[in-house]
Amino acid sequence: MSIVPEQSYAADTRSGGGGSSSLYDVLELVLDRGLVIDVFVRVSLVGIEILKIDARIVVASVDTYLRFAEACNRLDLESGPNKSTGLPELVGDMTESGARGKTKGALSGAAQTVADSFREAREGSSDDKDKETSRPRARRTSTRRKEESE
Amino acid sequence: MSTYVYAIVRADHPFGSEELLGVGEPGAPVRLLTKGALAAAVSDAPEGLRAKRRDLLAHQKVIGTLSDCGPVLPMRFGSLSPHDDAVRMVLAERGGQYAERLRELEGRVEFNVKATHREDIVLRRIVSGDQRIRELNARTRAGGANAQQERLRLGELVAAGVREQETRDSALIRESLRPLAEADSPGPEMGDCLCNFSFLVDSSAAEDFRAAVSRLEKEHEHLELSLHGPLPPYSFVESAQQRSA
Repeated sequence: MSIVPEQSYAADTRSGGGGSSSLYDVLELVLDRGLVIDVFVRVSLVGIEILKIDARIVVASVDTYLRFAEACNRLDLESGPNKSTGLPELVGDMTESGARGKTKGALSGAAQTVADSFREAREGSSDDKDKETSRPRARRTSTRRKEESE
Repeated sequence: MSTYVYAIVRADHPFGSEELLGVGEPGAPVRLLTKGALAAAVSDAPEGLRAKRRDLLAHQKVIGTLSDCGPVLPMRFGSLSPHDDAVRMVLAERGGQYAERLRELEGRVEFNVKATHREDIVLRRIVSGDQRIRELNARTRAGGANAQQERLRLGELVAAGVREQETRDSALIRESLRPLAEADSPGPEMGDCLCNFSFLVDSSAAEDFRAAVSRLEKEHEHLELSLHGPLPPYSFVESAQQRSA
């Protein structure tokens, strides 16, 4: 199950406080901060990879360079009579969406990094590692088995 | 059945009169397990618990509600103890350190600040501030034989400029807000923001902090800041010494 980021869920729990804060705005704190006690296990966070979909990632890659070059080319530096109209703008739009497609690779890379960091955080517990390698159905079964044995 | 742990509070924490529901469907009632001067807010853990929206919200809501009426040490989402007794054992063994941290956190809240660039403004500054970039931009815009090569060069220079600006802005934000806070902590790195900082702020200074953030944004038109809080002190459950250790 993934978190759908476009929707905002008013989850601000403090009276008269944060107003517009939603779960999604501070999701990384709920998942990656807070007290960890080594004798407790943590539930698997598999499926949490999709944290942000509109990520703008600055990485040293050809795709990033081209995206920046295109963005600069599109800048209206003069905002005077030289301003292009009509067709060039249309072309601009097309290259923009093209560039967005290209950045997707870098984006899933970042999601992977987030997932990795969660994985690292989990690795203190061997119990969790077992859970991670098993499929969700198997995980439920193993949990049940554990309870029965208790 | 395992026990889901939300937070550590004081044993005399005014839990609130209404029933608090936690993770699961339907939400399991939250109860306090007391040991000495401390208590843990827990509920029965549903079978096969995973990080679903409903349960993330429940986790956050329980901690937020507790935090409204006293200091809390929020647990990270998804902390499961095999049973209630193991929780009491933890409280018995490490109660001193938790009690001390609760004292230090009393009356304090976390604010989280994320910043992004208004890209058009930043790019415009980078292009107009550097003759070489300006020329490359003009040439690649016109096309030509080496356009692709020059476009890459342009992008490389601009990317470096953006990175430098991000580093400067990150330091600016931290230095501007740090004096209003008692502690700060870098948040997890997020792909889409240039910095993610959490600050521990005395509740009485919350309005000043909020004002400082909006002032900062007003003074720097290329920055877009998002402020979240007051939050329970997720990022400050350990003291600065413990965090650096």
